[in-house]
Amino acid sequence: MTPVDVRTGPAPEPGPLRPRPAASKPRPWEMVRRWRIFRSTTSYVACAVVALALVFTILTAGNFLNVTNLQSIGRNSAGLMLLAAGLAFVLGAGHIDLSVGATLVLSSVVSAKVTVALAPSAGAGWAIVVGAVCGVLAGAAMGLLNGLLVTRLRINSFVVTLGTMGVGIGLAQVITNGSNVIGLPTVIQRGFGVANWFSIPRPLLLAFVVSAVAAGVLAHTVFGRQALATGSSQAGARRAGVKVDRTTIGVFVVAGTMAGLAGFLDITRFGTTAISGHETTMLQALSAVIIGGTSLFGGRASVLGAMVATFVSTVLLAGFVMIGVSSFYQRIAIGVVLIIAVWVDRLRQARAVMT
Amino acid sequence: MVTPAEATPLLRVHGLKKSFGQVQALRAGNLAVNRREVVAIVGDNGAGKSTFISCIAGALRPDAGEVVLNGTPLELGSIHAAMRAGIATVYQDLAMAPDLSVAENIFLSTEIRRGGIAGRLGLVDHKAMRARAAALMDELGITTLTDVSAAAGSLSGGQRQVVAVARAVSRAGQLIILDEPTAALGARQSQIVLDTIHSMRERGLGVVLISHDLPHVLEVADRVVVMRFGRVVADVAPQGQTVRTIVSLMLGDESAAKESAAS
Repeated sequence: MTPVDVRTGPAPEPGPLRPRPAASKPRPWEMVRRWRIFRSTTSYVACAVVALALVFTILTAGNFLNVTNLQSIGRNSAGLMLLAAGLAFVLGAGHIDLSVGATLVLSSVVSAKVTVALAPSAGAGWAIVVGAVCGVLAGAAMGLLNGLLVTRLRINSFVVTLGTMGVGIGLAQVITNGSNVIGLPTVIQRGFGVANWFSIPRPLLLAFVVSAVAAGVLAHTVFGRQALATGSSQAGARRAGVKVDRTTIGVFVVAGTMAGLAGFLDITRFGTTAISGHETTMLQALSAVIIGGTSLFGGRASVLGAMVATFVSTVLLAGFVMIGVSSFYQRIAIGVVLIIAVWVDRLRQARAVMT
Repeated sequence: MVTPAEATPLLRVHGLKKSFGQVQALRAGNLAVNRREVVAIVGDNGAGKSTFISCIAGALRPDAGEVVLNGTPLELGSIHAAMRAGIATVYQDLAMAPDLSVAENIFLSTEIRRGGIAGRLGLVDHKAMRARAAALMDELGITTLTDVSAAAGSLSGGQRQVVAVARAVSRAGQLIILDEPTAALGARQSQIVLDTIHSMRERGLGVVLISHDLPHVLEVADRVVVMRFGRVVADVAPQGQTVRTIVSLMLGDESAAKESAAS
């Protein structure tokens, strides 16, 4: 029990009613607070990304900054950005989803299979659209499965999603018999995957728009606020009237849906699936979310921060390739980045408890 | 005591039982609360007070018994059923989300939405929630908490408790249940809570109050219900009772209590 509290503020005034300056007006300290939050996470990360890029620019004598390289980084970041934005919901609600990489692969396979099957009869355009929708739905279904297992069976989300990670990859291999899906209409690459819009890769643009909407959902909707309340104190939120189970299922569906869309982006990029090409994808997404200011302990989440932090690992990898560091070291780098990100989160958490 | 004239109380709780494994935390939870009545529940630690009110509020599902509000039986073990029926509760641990702001906590699960399509899409009106939260603080005379957009976790224990009380006040339509609402409060804030309890009663609500602070209890309660080992063992009017007689009821020294009550 907290000891009797006497430091609740500067000398309480005796009057029972003290008129307050019109409460609906934006108050200066609120602006300062918001600005400070913005400064402490998202823009710090943005500075780190720019600094990384600068280092590689110097190391490569300027080659790093060529447009093709930057566009390639952007294309690499698109799917990752979606995964990270979805993960921010799950982590904010106090859970974790290790299956998003597997969901991406499964969705890409579903998407590709449907597109290839429909292309001869329905034409490339419609086949791609239906394929995309099916991929996203497959992702949402994986998320729903995760959410139901976590809430109905009351199993820790770490264990549940570790299991569904295996299920997702396994299903993808069953569907394809282990070999990547080929024969996708080439327009999927030309028209979207490797196409640009004013020099900006189209997949990145799509990922940006969808993630920005997700950021708005988390910050400004009933669902978003209740998800964070659930992560902040599940028991508290429940007794305050939050439908905790429904909210929990919801965050997993968001993460699965985002992974599903990322799966579709994946086939538009390469014109085929990459079943075994996503072993580190989940780690990259997870470290992006945590670097971006989302707490591994729930309650605090920043989709915007996650979006920016996506570029940390993609810039790092692109830089390594250019300066000739072996791909084996890239995996080590991703692992180290993840551990550092979690450590920084711990420090932040400790500081928050102290104040 | 319930007189025949008040034969249909606001809240009637009968025969609530709740066990946790081998432990029978609540063996016989019986209670009647009228409109405009403050009923205090007292008892030693482990007497089953919190379990009792958690069962009434729907946070726990009792193993047996019934909760009737305004003559209608409540669905047991459903927080939402209890909330819909107009029961608001201040839990001992306050049931707050520390990472959310004071305003967001006050409106947690009853968020104010924006008008029109935006609201139907689930967009919350942060500004209106802040304004209403600040107005609520003013209404209750809480002057020590000026920034309703501060995170609940950054508040002192006392401030958090006041916010929890404010939230329950803003939600209670019929009955308000307060579990140790003054435990972490200084004298001035305690007085605010006691004043609030009075004004809730004036508004026609029923109030159930759990407190260890017996002088407070004797000051605000219309009836004092004593629990011991999971049972309601006494239901007395505070008039003629002293802290000493209540304590002896709590500890089971009933003969002493009867004696002093008679005198």
